[in-house]
Amino acid sequence: MSWESLLLMMPYITVVLLMVIGLFTVLFKKNLIKIIMGITIMQNGANLFLVSLAYRSGEYAPIFTSAESTDMVMPTPHALTLTSIVIGLATTALMLSFTIMIKRHYGSINTEDVRRCKE
Amino acid sequence: MNFDIFVHSPAFILGIPLLFAFLTPLVNRLSEQLRNVVFGIGLVLTAFFVGLMSYQVLTEGSWLYVFGANQPEPQNLLSYFYFRITFVADSFAVLATITISITAVAAGIYSYGFMKDETGLNKFYTLFLLTLAGVNGMVLTGDLFNLFVWFEVTSVASCALVAFRNYRGRSVEAALKYMVLSTVGGLLVLFSIGLMYGQYGVLNYALLTQSISGTFIDKLALGLLVVIFAMKASSAPMHMWAPDAYSEAPGSVTPFIAITSLGSLFVLFRLLFGVIGVNVDPSVSGTLLIILGVLSMIVGVTMALVQTDLKRLIAYLSVSQVGYMMMAVGVGLATLNSADYQNFGTLAMKGGLFHMINDGVYKALLFLSAVAVVHVTDIRSLNKLGGLAHDMPYTTVFFLIGALSIAGIPPLSGFSSKLLIYQSVYLYSPVLAIVALVVSIITLAVVGKAFFNAFLGPDQGLAEKKVPSSMLFGMGLLTVVVIIFTLFPNLIVSEIVSPAVKALVGVMP
Repeated sequence: MSWESLLLMMPYITVVLLMVIGLFTVLFKKNLIKIIMGITIMQNGANLFLVSLAYRSGEYAPIFTSAESTDMVMPTPHALTLTSIVIGLATTALMLSFTIMIKRHYGSINTEDVRRCKE
Repeated sequence: MNFDIFVHSPAFILGIPLLFAFLTPLVNRLSEQLRNVVFGIGLVLTAFFVGLMSYQVLTEGSWLYVFGANQPEPQNLLSYFYFRITFVADSFAVLATITISITAVAAGIYSYGFMKDETGLNKFYTLFLLTLAGVNGMVLTGDLFNLFVWFEVTSVASCALVAFRNYRGRSVEAALKYMVLSTVGGLLVLFSIGLMYGQYGVLNYALLTQSISGTFIDKLALGLLVVIFAMKASSAPMHMWAPDAYSEAPGSVTPFIAITSLGSLFVLFRLLFGVIGVNVDPSVSGTLLIILGVLSMIVGVTMALVQTDLKRLIAYLSVSQVGYMMMAVGVGLATLNSADYQNFGTLAMKGGLFHMINDGVYKALLFLSAVAVVHVTDIRSLNKLGGLAHDMPYTTVFFLIGALSIAGIPPLSGFSSKLLIYQSVYLYSPVLAIVALVVSIITLAVVGKAFFNAFLGPDQGLAEKKVPSSMLFGMGLLTVVVIIFTLFPNLIVSEIVSPAVKALVGVMP
């Protein structure tokens, strides 16, 4: 594999790294804040994946300019990414507020202490 | 251009709950009674538009609703597909939205009495209507990106509903568990959407169906989607969030949370048939569905057997009921391309889909009557309950009807759909039919135990208050629907379920 193609693969390698790190954090960490951080890392991985899919070298951003419409990239992945970022903000905020309430009720944010449902 | 309200009904099914969701907190500033009225109007209007859509689909045939396009425009649809938001209004969506609306209206009316003593109710009604919009969007949407958006809307709103009584630690714990799973699931859905888009440049179901060629990346993406939606549908072995979320949510929304998982099951079937079925060998995914179904049936019912908490018991039963539908539809999917499909596959599909609408209704009835018991006595343990038939005669009858229906006792509605499943699954493999029968018998034992412990025996004076009339009305509504399904199973199967099977298996409009 040539150096250049490796460089072109870099975004995808980063995506895989981010997803794996995020998933590892979610699965194996005990601290609720760290779990939520892991989810955020996964979110960033998914967003980066969509943005790198959208990149076409030598083409223009889909903005109304004088460029030929055939030279523009499809705006769908960007719309996806923006939506996903907004949704990510909402879910992260909700999960963090749950964590605050769990800290109030249980006095701990360690998953091993937070298992009253099992009883 | 004349405005045809029938053709535009899919937009209203989403628009009305969204509008009323944000209207209720505003109206709440004026008066609380008015807010309740507005909430009720929102629910009933949504159900009304579901009725309009159903009428149009069942009389005129299905159509593809394209947002912002001149309606109807069947000729130039392909040019819209790349940019427009499309909704599929077909008989399968009709089946799903009818199930959702019946439960939503009943649970909404029930909430008036049940939630009376809670604070911050304006937010409760907002979240309720947002969840309704999310589930309806999930089952109606015609492209993967929209699916992701409605998936997340449903997740956020229903998790916040589970945690609504945030003065209880357990509610928040169950909600966080559900939320982490849903969010990770949502991200993997997004990732698989990226995989699809990267290959084909389209997200629309209909266009994807034409272009998917079954490469390794396709299988990866579709596998991810199947696992995530099976998880949301509370299928074993990914069911662990369900009993917690169902039993810790405020009682009146428990059936509604169960409906969100039923909605995910509808989406799973649509993805399996509409996007995957034609292109990837259906016998593999069908077998996978059968395995998941059998696992859910057995795990759900055996866990229900050992529960002493009334709400958790029904939650585990609901996991096992999901197994029936997955198994029946799995048989249909596994035989899709062979001659067996005509022999018994289509019957299995009918049984599975009929069981879905049945299950949505009687499970809601069972949950709501169990919640009425907990509401009146403030006791959840079956060991401490007893003799409630003396104090709450109506609730006893409602619980009995729901219990007999979930156990599949003839002539109740659960029996008619289970009979279709037994018949057809037996022809595929007798072992599956035997498992289904045994699970049904254990289900009867479980609900029998719950009924005897809670309602029969000498009067212990446990009921501290009367069941509010709005709660009785909500349960009564569901009972009427169960009785309708019991009396006219043939009519339901021929008018609603069979077209849904055809729409699911056939090509998209």
